[in-house]
Amino acid sequence: MRHLAMACLCLAAAACGGDFSNDDLEFLNALPKREDLAAKLPASSQGRTGGGLTTRKDGLLVNLGEVSQLASDTDDTGRDFNTAVDGLLTLLESIRATSPTTREPDRRVWGPFKDKDHPGFDVRFVMERAELRFDYQLEYRRTGADDTAWWAFLTGAFQADAGIRKGVGTLSLDVKRAVQEDFAAGGLITLDRLDIDYQTKALPTRVEMAFTPRGGLTEAVRYTYREAEGGLGEMKFRLPATDLVIGGKLEDVELTTRWAPDGRGMGVLLVLAGDIQGAKYTECWNALGRVTFIARSWDFFNPTEGVRTTCPDFTALDE
Amino acid sequence: MSPLPSSLRALALSLALVATAAHADVLRRFALVAGNDEGGGDTRPLQFARDDARKMFELLQRLGGVAPGDAKLLLDEDSRDFLAALTELEGRARAARARGERTALMVYYSGHAKDGSLRLGDSRLAYEDLKRRLADAPVDIRIAILDSCRSGALTRTKGARRAPAFEIESGAARDARGLVILTSSSADEDSQESDALRGSYFSHHLASGLLGDADRSGDGRVTLFEAYSHAYARTVADTAASTAGPQHPTFSYDLAGNGDLVLTDLRASGEGLLVPGAAPAGTYYFVDPGGMVVAELDKTADVERRVALAPGTYRVKRRLPDRLRIGEVEVPRGRAAVLEETRLRDAPFSDDPVKGAARDGGAWWTVGFSGGVQSFLDAPTRDTLFLSVGLLGAEAQLHDYFRRDWVWGVDVAVGGKQAVLALPTLAGPAYRYSVTSLGTTLTAEWPHGSVTPFVGGRLAYLMLRRDFEDEAFPDQKFAMFSPGVVGGVRWKPLPRLYVTGQARLHYLQYTVDEQRSLGYWELGALLTYQP
Repeated sequence: MRHLAMACLCLAAAACGGDFSNDDLEFLNALPKREDLAAKLPASSQGRTGGGLTTRKDGLLVNLGEVSQLASDTDDTGRDFNTAVDGLLTLLESIRATSPTTREPDRRVWGPFKDKDHPGFDVRFVMERAELRFDYQLEYRRTGADDTAWWAFLTGAFQADAGIRKGVGTLSLDVKRAVQEDFAAGGLITLDRLDIDYQTKALPTRVEMAFTPRGGLTEAVRYTYREAEGGLGEMKFRLPATDLVIGGKLEDVELTTRWAPDGRGMGVLLVLAGDIQGAKYTECWNALGRVTFIARSWDFFNPTEGVRTTCPDFTALDE
Repeated sequence: MSPLPSSLRALALSLALVATAAHADVLRRFALVAGNDEGGGDTRPLQFARDDARKMFELLQRLGGVAPGDAKLLLDEDSRDFLAALTELEGRARAARARGERTALMVYYSGHAKDGSLRLGDSRLAYEDLKRRLADAPVDIRIAILDSCRSGALTRTKGARRAPAFEIESGAARDARGLVILTSSSADEDSQESDALRGSYFSHHLASGLLGDADRSGDGRVTLFEAYSHAYARTVADTAASTAGPQHPTFSYDLAGNGDLVLTDLRASGEGLLVPGAAPAGTYYFVDPGGMVVAELDKTADVERRVALAPGTYRVKRRLPDRLRIGEVEVPRGRAAVLEETRLRDAPFSDDPVKGAARDGGAWWTVGFSGGVQSFLDAPTRDTLFLSVGLLGAEAQLHDYFRRDWVWGVDVAVGGKQAVLALPTLAGPAYRYSVTSLGTTLTAEWPHGSVTPFVGGRLAYLMLRRDFEDEAFPDQKFAMFSPGVVGGVRWKPLPRLYVTGQARLHYLQYTVDEQRSLGYWELGALLTYQP
């Protein structure tokens, strides 16, 4: 009986401690989650390609009632955007599932651990806090190297604003450094950097993603996603060298698409360079993705088609 | 003292004994029997004082020659009732005496006594007042039997002589007249109760002796001296190894004429149990259907003994070095049964029919349910980390096991609430906060009547956790031993039922974010039952 009591006492003593920490929660709150950064596409966009009736057309040769090419492009771009977000945030997912290895008043460290996905490398995650600002790094080093050998593959910062992951943050992936360190970067090998800049503290929220191609041979490609009250979404991105109209030049265009949760949307295409530089094309579509309104600023004879009032109200997204 | 030569004095004493026996049958006896478990605010309630009184009341009527109309039983009555009953009996005695009858008044009291007074609940009756009242009673013989703590103080008073057991055999020469006092303990001793006997040691052995065990002469009658001698020897023997130490009954007499007095006539009712001379020698125990030892009999070889048991069924036990001999006997109404050895069988000690025979430490259990609230002293801590919550639990307590008035308890309690986190950089996550507390407590208590204050120490194992609805936040837990102190008051509103109010103050070492010393308090109520 006495041995049993002693055994119970030892077990209880071993069970002392835990992870009951407010600071841990605040540190974790500085890390973005997928739902914070991913574009919330309308549910009706899934598989929306005109039910097989659509035929892709070049340029802006679209008629009322046909499937909107802009709507389809927006959906595709949104999914690509989210895929990139997923790939980046996957690196942070394991942090949430593990208690910090080291706790200091304004610092948390997870690791170092052996990186099973990258044999020969150790990995650690370091977060530091200064008042409301959190900075974090996902760092790697060759196994066996000393503490000066750590280099950051992912760097992030977050300025908290009290709510659940509400604030302003940045997230960067240094692919170029990874390549230099002979670190397998997978599908990111075509990039030098991937940067995300976001604010989630107030509506409309904003997530801006910039892909910097390897070697800096071309300009960085930026995608900006915004979300307003009522589930209204907006995606803005550039399409360089697009043959928009008949002429001798290709057009660089900036496409801004907006959508409502029910699938209705509006696309505004602004020609930044090319045959009709400065021209503006506007297109609205219904919940089925079919065009309901068209406006071409350069067409003096037939500037609009359809009814403008069929376009949803997106003033909540106006800047 | 008499100037007679010792030889003549011895002859006179012998004649007086014969005369006493002859007069015993015509002695009109009155009895006032009182039992009170309560003794006021500064005493701990007794368990068996009333039971002892009932037992003695029944015995005096059945075997002691006290007519039902001449006996009074007072249970939990105060001193005013006691004196009123005494006055009534005195009136009856006065009338009997006027008719030429010899009279005796027996007063038996089982209960508290302290500071020179009997304690009848919250009321008091000073020894000196009682003694004066008895001395003035209009009867020929006055016998007071007090089973109470420090009752020996009554026999220490002027005019009385304390007589150790060995002097009893000297007997008396003439009819007894005057005042006789038997007390259960000396002036500086506590009188002890026994769970196994379900009564006080003294009253049990006195009653057992009056039923026949004290009949040393074998004449079928138990005299005052025989009863006291028996009760003295057995009480001292039984309490010698107790935690409170041996208890020494006292006996004093202040008689105008020395003499012995027959207290019980074992053949008075014709009922009882005969143990034949051929029955083996040894100590016999007679146990009622409730497992209580009603009487004992120390039998010697080739001597027939009689135990004046009331009609009923009894289990009989005789202890041998390696086993028990047990059996059952039926005592019929109006006649005596004979205990036949052939009706007893061998049995292991584990079959002892006496309840609680293996334990005589006076320990007792309570079990119950508790409710309360827990709150940390530091405001930021209780707002954002360890919240204030209500607790529900169960508790078991072991009383008087390690030491009298010490209580060891084990408890478990759980509590919880829904909450929303509010931190400087994070507000809004909803979660469930929960507490599980396992504790063990050792307290010392100071009984004052039905109210018992206590203080002590407690060691708790506290398990705290919070479960977030948002999967983005991990569920968290913390566990730690937590020493503390506890204090409170226990109240006994009903027999076997206790209501306890208690406060606890605990220390908790928090070790996650940083090393912090935290304190928390608990206020609670406990409802317990004594099985």
